Amino acid sequence: MAPPNNTAPADAAGSAEAVDTSFEQSGELVDAELAYRVQQFYFLEAELLDDGRYADWLDIFDDDLFYWAPLRTNRLRRQAALSIGAEGEAAYFDETRDSLAWRIRRYDSGMAWAEDPPSRTRHLISNITARWKSQNELLVRSAFLVYRNRLQTETDLYSGGRTDQVRITDDGGFRISRREILFDANVLQAKNLSTFF
Amino acid sequence: MSSDSSNTSPANQAIGTMRRPPLSRNIDVSTLVDADKGLIDRSIYTNEEIYGQEMRRIFARNWLFLAHTSQFQKPGDFFTTFMGEDPVLVAMDKQKNIRAYLNSCRHRGVRLCRADEGRTKMFTCTYHGWSFDLAGALQSVPNQDAYPEDFQKENWGLIEVPSLAVYKGLIFGSWDPDAEPLEETLGDMRYYMDAMLDRDPEGTEVVGGVMKWQLEGNWKLAAEQFATDWYHVNMSHASALMVLSPTGKGPKPEVVATPGRQYLSPKGHGAGFPTHPKSRFDAAPVHEYYDYDALRERLGDERVEGPLTTGHATVFPSFSYLPVNGSIRVWHPKGPDKMEVWAWILVDKSMPQEVKDAQRLYNLRTFGPSGIFEADDGENWSEVQAISHGFVTNSVPLNFQMGVGSEREDGVYPGTTSELYSDAAGRSFYRHWATQMNTPAWHETQHKTAEDQAESDQ
Repeated sequence: MAPPNNTAPADAAGSAEAVDTSFEQSGELVDAELAYRVQQFYFLEAELLDDGRYADWLDIFDDDLFYWAPLRTNRLRRQAALSIGAEGEAAYFDETRDSLAWRIRRYDSGMAWAEDPPSRTRHLISNITARWKSQNELLVRSAFLVYRNRLQTETDLYSGGRTDQVRITDDGGFRISRREILFDANVLQAKNLSTFF
Repeated sequence: MSSDSSNTSPANQAIGTMRRPPLSRNIDVSTLVDADKGLIDRSIYTNEEIYGQEMRRIFARNWLFLAHTSQFQKPGDFFTTFMGEDPVLVAMDKQKNIRAYLNSCRHRGVRLCRADEGRTKMFTCTYHGWSFDLAGALQSVPNQDAYPEDFQKENWGLIEVPSLAVYKGLIFGSWDPDAEPLEETLGDMRYYMDAMLDRDPEGTEVVGGVMKWQLEGNWKLAAEQFATDWYHVNMSHASALMVLSPTGKGPKPEVVATPGRQYLSPKGHGAGFPTHPKSRFDAAPVHEYYDYDALRERLGDERVEGPLTTGHATVFPSFSYLPVNGSIRVWHPKGPDKMEVWAWILVDKSMPQEVKDAQRLYNLRTFGPSGIFEADDGENWSEVQAISHGFVTNSVPLNFQMGVGSEREDGVYPGTTSELYSDAAGRSFYRHWATQMNTPAWHETQHKTAEDQAESDQ
């Protein structure tokens, strides 16, 4: 067997919280030109997903990717800090680049019945804010509304937000090294998560 | 529920003379299930009245899984869940006893605790402010002076789940105050459960967080599949088997044709497992962690070579598990057409953290809402359900005939077993279901006149 979990997630987990305080632009919004490029990057990502080009989609991530969607629980107000699952707990996704590749290979088998015939999806991405994290890194937040229509009338809506750690590559492109996805749901109102976010 | 709530703890004595007339008729389901010939009528997955009868005679009667003991460490730790469609609050009281209550304020019935889990000293209703302590007792009532003199708080404690029992970390509750002991209900099923629950002398614990999702599909479709259905694995999960296999091309024919056994309990439980040493789908770090010689000594060769390899199981009616994936789950009924899955990740307590992590990741990548196996199961169940309301569709029985007559005592595994590829545990699941559906439950037989009974059974 070749299980996908040879790498513990902690190894791959960058730290979105560790902001380089010596970097003077830290926390500042990027300028209009860079903001435009970031926005186009996210729109193109959405296109790849909606076109089902998952292998190409994987290329937007860096090799040390940590791709994570924690659970959301209802908590008493004084324990509200616990309402987002912690790393190391059960999660919707807790992935490395390898494990995402492994999930994508399944779709190429021709026998992944939950997506055969394939669903129609539309990834709507908005509310993008990009801030400097370090000399060549951004912290980008975005919101998504993903519509899925399957077979005749089956319809799912996935709403949520993402916080990405984005590296600016030498050629001025972007690579995501960490993505945290927060679904706006307690009990997931969909029979599965067979697209990506 | 019985009319006078005498099913509850001493805190909940009978109130007044309230009694319910029969509100629902009971349907004789004996011609909807032919467990001998292996035929099941599809109406049992779609009919509203049958569903209501299940709430009364299946879910209000049986031992139902509530939570894992590791979720309760200190007094005040609580977890909210469901028994059938009844909301239930499970809490550790001051004496560190785990207790369960109907999660509904005794005053005007609001859901008392709206958090999924947490820690508290008191449960205070947000409607009028009635407060209940961890023992379910009503502690304070705002403006109590305005109530009549004979109003007594001790009569208005939370409705307690009268029977609660723990089997190796798994907490089960039953609304039947005279429920048969859990261990008796489980019977030989314990031997198979222990292949998951008793590998480690320290026992098991759950990882934080319960994965929850809803899908179209009657709860029995899932419960029955986990009891009896190894057959679907090669087809339904072809894509998952392919990416998991060393060659990337799927399992070898000899693995597909794996021998194995399926246990069927007269009480509706079922468990299937291959006995081929290579038919195993476990996470490599977990496999490498186990000392198989020690496991053989602890659990016996047959159990290590059988139920511990891989497999599936259901404890009747709605608790299922997958030993090598460390998945334990409940199929909560949400109407005849819908279920809500709650899935926990189970690990051995003594595992080093990196092995627990490996088990957790393997679990959520295979089962759970994004799991590569789970997705295809959900697709099947929702597709069965989606077309089940067609009149003609609904009237054509389903086939459960694989392995008819194969049930026997095999001399190795306890109880009655069949082949790995068999519907035997499915047939016994539905046989037991039909028997219970046709037998009045505890709340119907207590405090009822013969006249009431005759009327409600007509």
